[in-house]
Amino acid sequence: MRHARIILDGRELDIQIDANDRLTTTDGEALIVDLDSDQITWLPPVKEPGTIFALGINYADHASELAFEPPKEPLVFIKHANTLTGHKQVSYRPDNIDYQHYECELVAVIGKTGKNIKREDALDYVAGYTVCNDFAIRDYLENYYRPNLRVKSRDSLLPMGPWIVDTADIPDANALKLTTTVNGKVTQDGTTRDMIFDVPFVIEYLSKIMTLNPGDMICTGTPHGIVDCQPGDTVVCTIEDICSLETRMVSEQEYYGDKY
Amino acid sequence: MTAETLVNSKLVCVALNDKEQLATLEATFNEAPYKKPPTQPVLYYKPRNTWNRNGAEIEWAKDFDGSDVPAMAVGTSLGVVIGKETCRVSAEEALDYVGGYTIVSDFSLPEQNYYRPDIKGKCLDTTAPVGPEIVTADKITNPETLSVSISVNGEQKSVVELANMERSVAELISIISRIMTLQAGEIIAVGFAGNRVPVAKGDKVESSIEGIGTLSNTLGGA
Repeated sequence: MRHARIILDGRELDIQIDANDRLTTTDGEALIVDLDSDQITWLPPVKEPGTIFALGINYADHASELAFEPPKEPLVFIKHANTLTGHKQVSYRPDNIDYQHYECELVAVIGKTGKNIKREDALDYVAGYTVCNDFAIRDYLENYYRPNLRVKSRDSLLPMGPWIVDTADIPDANALKLTTTVNGKVTQDGTTRDMIFDVPFVIEYLSKIMTLNPGDMICTGTPHGIVDCQPGDTVVCTIEDICSLETRMVSEQEYYGDKY
Repeated sequence: MTAETLVNSKLVCVALNDKEQLATLEATFNEAPYKKPPTQPVLYYKPRNTWNRNGAEIEWAKDFDGSDVPAMAVGTSLGVVIGKETCRVSAEEALDYVGGYTIVSDFSLPEQNYYRPDIKGKCLDTTAPVGPEIVTADKITNPETLSVSISVNGEQKSVVELANMERSVAELISIISRIMTLQAGEIIAVGFAGNRVPVAKGDKVESSIEGIGTLSNTLGGA
């Protein structure tokens, strides 16, 4: 089963999507609308977002692309809900920068509270998987708590969704094809098999440090194949059997409107 | 976990805002891995599992092998509580967006370097007490005149004047609000003394700011 949050006819709804793409609210009301209908506004799929953990350089080929040695332990940084936006929503490129790139990533959504979770039990704590695009603005990198908040924690820099797939429906999260297209052209083509630290490892690692809670998310890093994105570009991040996440890039002025 | 804490949704902390600390580290910051001093505020989050209350115990952290960590330290900051949605505000208008002030203590492993996000050091459960209460903004005419003191078991260990911070409260609100839109109830810990205070199991830590109060916590593990 897939789970999402949408706005339809002015109503904010928690929905389930079955194998035949039929939409039902969690209260059991059937919705007569196609999954790809423009009538649906997709919200970020986690209803009460907690701490968002993101991994840097967690694919060996991406590490070499960025001229880094693969890390010996996970490089983790934290993001908050201000970065989240939904499927078919916009993300903005700041003025006067040279390089903003997408990062297509598998996301594990935590469903149960735990501390000191063993690797072999870790998937019991995962409610499901979704896809995110963990945008980065490379111009703003500084070597202090890198990747610093200015690079990664801006409003709208973490599109996510459209839905969460139950953990039980994904027998092996480390055997999934991962692709990104920009304006229809494939720019990133990898597989979650190449992850350095997989979801169970990261859950064991993080939960030795701190308690994980429902609504926390772990974004697991991106493989080789990042390119600069400009306002007007449409970026689609896809992970096989999970979902496809579409984002339209806009300028800073278009994004902030009156507040620009 | 987050129940009954004074934080709503986000606690942003500013590291390396103590002028004296920046001067001391200047040579280090010109070397690898930093290569040059920071040009922007150095920010980190204390996530929700860390949020805690006045009077509560701070857990003594465990190492990866399950044994107690050898050392912990504390820093304390003025906590600026955002009063309304704050998006891309200027430094001149920034204080109009402050709803109130409180005290934030950051218990952590001793700060050893600033190159990578310090998840192991800073994200430990219960290590960010906030309180004792939120004093409304109108009670504090000029936050730059405040000083923050820390005492351990009744003995004063640290005093820092906010006037000695590299960036003011207003500047920080302005800069951070251009990175992220801040919401009512979110808190910015605007700066800590560069020298964090070492603490031991069972210590009673009291952090005070005149006009706001005293935030009191005890280390666990004793």
